[in-house]
Amino acid sequence: VRLLVVEDEVRIAEVLRTSLGKAGFAVDSVASCGDAQAALEVGAYDAMILDLGLPDGDGLALLARLRSRGDQTPILILTARDAIEDRVSGLDAGADDYLVKPFAMTELIARTKALLRRPGGALGTTLKAGNVSFDTIGRDVMIGSVSLPLPRRESAILEHLMRRLGRVVPKLVLEEKLYGIDDELESNAIPVHIHHLRRKLVDAGAAAEIHTVRGLGYLLTETKA
Amino acid sequence: MIRTRFRSLQMRLAVRLAIPYIIAMVIGVGILVYQAYDTAGSLNDRDLNLRAIDIARYVSSDPDGKAQLNLPAKLAAAYQSSADMFAVRDARGQIIAAAPPSFGTLVATWPPATDDASYFRLKNFGSESEDYYGLSIGLENSAGPLSISVAQAAGANALVSALLREFVFDVAWVIPLLVLVTLVIGVLAIRSGLRPIRDASEMAAGIGPNTTSVRLPDDNLPSEITPLVSAVNRALDRLEQGFALQRKFTANAAHELRTPLAIITGALDVMEGNDDLAKLKSDVSRMNRLVDQLLRVARLDSVAMDVSEEVDLNEIAANTVAAMAPWALALERAIVLDHFDGQVVITGNGHAIEDALRNLIENGILHSPPRSEVTVRVSPEQSISVVDAGPGISPADRELIFERFWRGKGVASGGAGLGLSIVKEIMNAHRGIISVKGKSERRSHIHAPIPQGRWARIINAIHIGGL
Repeated sequence: VRLLVVEDEVRIAEVLRTSLGKAGFAVDSVASCGDAQAALEVGAYDAMILDLGLPDGDGLALLARLRSRGDQTPILILTARDAIEDRVSGLDAGADDYLVKPFAMTELIARTKALLRRPGGALGTTLKAGNVSFDTIGRDVMIGSVSLPLPRRESAILEHLMRRLGRVVPKLVLEEKLYGIDDELESNAIPVHIHHLRRKLVDAGAAAEIHTVRGLGYLLTETKA
Repeated sequence: MIRTRFRSLQMRLAVRLAIPYIIAMVIGVGILVYQAYDTAGSLNDRDLNLRAIDIARYVSSDPDGKAQLNLPAKLAAAYQSSADMFAVRDARGQIIAAAPPSFGTLVATWPPATDDASYFRLKNFGSESEDYYGLSIGLENSAGPLSISVAQAAGANALVSALLREFVFDVAWVIPLLVLVTLVIGVLAIRSGLRPIRDASEMAAGIGPNTTSVRLPDDNLPSEITPLVSAVNRALDRLEQGFALQRKFTANAAHELRTPLAIITGALDVMEGNDDLAKLKSDVSRMNRLVDQLLRVARLDSVAMDVSEEVDLNEIAANTVAAMAPWALALERAIVLDHFDGQVVITGNGHAIEDALRNLIENGILHSPPRSEVTVRVSPEQSISVVDAGPGISPADRELIFERFWRGKGVASGGAGLGLSIVKEIMNAHRGIISVKGKSERRSHIHAPIPQGRWARIINAIHIGGL
């Protein structure tokens, strides 16, 4: 998996190369918009990590140029600007995600992986959380090396939670994803599915657990060692 | 109310116009009435004078050399009325003739009249008890020098009253009317003359933090006002520059502070090591938070907030809780969202309210014991409450917690004491209320054992009212 890091701050670029390298990515780094465009022309990248304040232009302009060309490479924006308007304009310009500096490297890696796992992404079709893996094509759930059979809706819930590992998935979103508009929906349908799913994960010895954020939704975290 | 009305330029000008107008009107009418009286008076005097001369013409000496009055019948009849009186005396003061006789008796006591007419008034005289006005004059006659006194009842002063009546009713009322019309025209002229100023004021009132580029138009304005308007425009120029400079400064400061912090944070993440490294990481994350909050404070101070968007408090609460739940979970605390279906739409700044709520939740989590929960409650009365399971805040401290850099005693939250001051500033910008309540309300689902008597809980309630 190849990543392009566009960052003009030498030390940050260095840290990014080291830690992303350790996480198993091949990383090229450039320091300007021009170099970034040149690199994109010769090489194929699975994702790009883009700093906004670059010496020869705004990262947002580069982003807009790429998107207008039809380039769909997943892009994560790094910014030291924190005015929320800036973040919003980044997402409007076609960024897939953003992080505000300073950021935790683990967060950056998790977000990058999430981008790569999107449909058509480079990380393929297997989602991982702790010792739980989920093959989105075959729809097989494995706890370690043991297969865990799940009913259709429970496996769909697990997939959504794993795609957004460590982040809250609102109950409303799960309802929308799981049920058609015309389906009769019992108000406690999702909680019941979650209850069963949680029990099965615990029984199978999964190193990931589902937490409830009352009033809002659910999130999946890897169990701390 | 009256005070403010008198502060208006229009009112002041109108009052300043009206006062001299009224004074001029009173003086004008007064002079005219006085003149009329004066003219009437002198006409009256001449009339009396003529009568005296007339009467003197009919005095003649009889063959005995004694003076006597022979009035023509018509004239004698006229003097029969009580309105007119006369008395004729000879040089020795003897009454020659008088009508009525009582007048003669009175006049007989007076000194002889001289060539210069002398005027007199009589009060309540005669059978009719009327007031009289008259003159006494000495006249030479073929019968010798005569003293003639003629008087007329004041009520019978028909000429004067007719004259006055005619004047007051036919002429004098026109003057106040004219003054009034002029005044109304003056006030209307002031109004229309002030219209450009009113328009400019309305425009100025619309200038907000996000419309700093608006300038007041100075064409069509009275030349007296133009300097004020251009001075205001220049002040706006400077303000706009100041705003731009401050925005640029905070943006630059954010970038310059965050970049080295990002390098350190990233470098530490890559390192592997012992407890010292863990401590260092926690120090750096504390530094990160401090810088983050300082920058927020700087931005709140320098950039006026746009509080005009329509936002849904329910949605803001859901987003904020979703963003913070993983962090709370990592600290073994839970966040509960207590909301209801539907929207709570207010006018405000969504990002800022999110910021305020994040700080409140952070504060609640850091002051709650492990395995407890913080409840975020959205109420339809356009308020959000954050209820934590901490020890509560003593009433004495409830004002202090919103001061910058204030930290509770013996609380090792690791914060800089900026979070709640940020919340307060955001609420001030929204003209909202922020209040702290302690509440003795026990909740069964709080697992942490809390000693008896410490059920006090903080409710940091943001009320955004009047929207």
